[in-house]
Formats: sequence, structure tokens, C-alpha cells
Amino acid sequence: MASKSKQVADGSNKVKLQDSAWKRALVANAEWPDKEEFLDVIYWMRQAMGIILGLFWGLLPMKGFVGLLLFVLVNAAVIYFYVNNFQNIDEEEYGGLWEITKEGFMTSFAGFLVTWIIIYTGLHIADTL
Amino acid sequence: MWSDSLLIVFISICTAFLGEGLTWILVYRTEKYQKLKVEVERQSKKLEKRKEAHGDSLDKQHKKKIEREEERLKNNNRDLSLVKMKSMFAIGFAFTALLSMFNSIFDGRVVAKLPFYPISWIQGLSHRNLPGDDYTDCSFIFLYILCTMSIRQNIQKLLGFAPSRAASKQGGALFAAPPAQFK
Repeated sequence: MASKSKQVADGSNKVKLQDSAWKRALVANAEWPDKEEFLDVIYWMRQAMGIILGLFWGLLPMKGFVGLLLFVLVNAAVIYFYVNNFQNIDEEEYGGLWEITKEGFMTSFAGFLVTWIIIYTGLHIADTL
Repeated sequence: MWSDSLLIVFISICTAFLGEGLTWILVYRTEKYQKLKVEVERQSKKLEKRKEAHGDSLDKQHKKKIEREEERLKNNNRDLSLVKMKSMFAIGFAFTALLSMFNSIFDGRVVAKLPFYPISWIQGLSHRNLPGDDYTDCSFIFLYILCTMSIRQNIQKLLGFAPSRAASKQGGALFAAPPAQFK
């Protein structure tokens, strides 16, 4: 991702804009001059979350519709918290909360299902079929 | 059963790379495509900025300018899809053949167990060509589609072949909105 060489001036944080987007993603109230960069961070966060939740759900093992519903809720809640409370982003700049909420959702959902199904099958189903 | 599921993940990773590789050879590396892509992205961003700046103004001159740019973007978008289309057809045919081959290999085999009971309109896919009434049995095609959905798009994004958000947003808006001259 592109890096910039300006210093954040408002004093709300001490992160330099020349830091990579991933470094800034981990710092609260970081500056995001490029919208695409921030949406990319949300996208990849979602993908990682899909795989991690799929892994957990498979290990537990979580079963049924509850698993799907919980994934959607946790996924949306984490992103909502990250955008509104951690980064304090004005969601209107990104076309509303809906645009951020659906960013990379389907791909992450598919990744989650694949991980969940495979781990569940491998660990909890006797290989008799 | 587990080895089948892992094999399917591997197959979909391979086909995703193969698909992107073929598209790169036939489309992405061509000069025409690259030129058009840069142009569409530049115009989309420009148009978005202009709309943000003058979105609510009723100034006729601005409106006309925006309409003219929309028209130009539409033409470029159309050219871009035409460049893509030919090779997409070729790749589509190749992949349909590949898919039917895998389909016959995994025919009637339960490749995984679903941890949830699929809703009725998914069952046709998730239980395709499988014996018995246990709808938590998962067929090859269902797992393959899920794998492709997640893996292909992520690979596209990693390799930088995914269309930019501005371009797809403007493209979508252009197709959704009624033509400006009829308003």
C-alpha cells in the first residue's frame, strides 16, 4: 500500500503517515488520507476474522443456524467497534455505515464457511462415509 | 472424507491461479486493457470528486459537465468489458469442461459434513448427486463454489487485478441510474 510522508499535526496520535497502513491500522485514531487504504484494511481484517472464527467454530464444535448467526453478529460488531470506537472514522465519508459493513463481507463469509466445514468434518466426523 | 475436502481446497486454489494466469496472458497484460483501466479509474475518481463538490448544486453548467463525463466513462467502461469478454468466454468454456471433469470424479461422494442444516434452496446444490436424505452431507460442487468465492477474489485482490472501488461504484451507478437525458 502507498505510504505518505506527512506528520499528523493534530496531536491526537503520534503515528506518522509514512508508516504502513498495517501499522496505522493497529493505532487508535490514526489518520487515513486515502479512503481505499482504510477500506482495504477493513477488507483484510474481515478475511482474517472469517478464517479465525471458522477455526474456532470448527474446534468447539459450534453447530446449526446459531453458528451462522453468531458469525454475522460478531463480524459486524467487531467492524462497527473498530470503525466507530477505535479509529473514530466519520462513516459518512465512506458512504455510510452500510458501505463499510458490507465491505468484503461475502468473501469473508465464504472463507468462514469453508474453514468451519473442513475443521468440523476433520475433527468431529468419523471417517466412515 | 477430510482428504477429499482438502483436495477440493487445493483444486480451487490451483484453478483460481490458473484462471488469473490465463486472464493475465489474454487480457491484463495487453496495452489496450491497461490504458483503458487507467483511464476508467482516473475518470471515476474525477467524477466522484466532481459529484461530491457540486452534488446538490443546480448549476446547469456543472450538471452538463457531469453528464458529459458520465457518458465518456460509460463508453470507456463498455470498451473495457469488450476487451475482457472474448477471453472470458474462452476461459469460461475451459473451466466448464474442467468442472464437469471434477464433477464426475466426485460424483456421489460425500466430501464433507455440514455443521448446519442448509435451507431448502441451498439443498439442491449442497446435496447434488448425493444418495440418501441426510442434508448435512456436502457435495463437491457446494464446497468448490464456496472455496472459489473466497479464494479467487482474495487472489485477485492480492495480485492487484480486482477492479478499484471507485470504478465499480461508478460503473454500478451508471447501469442503475436512468439515462440523464430522459430525466
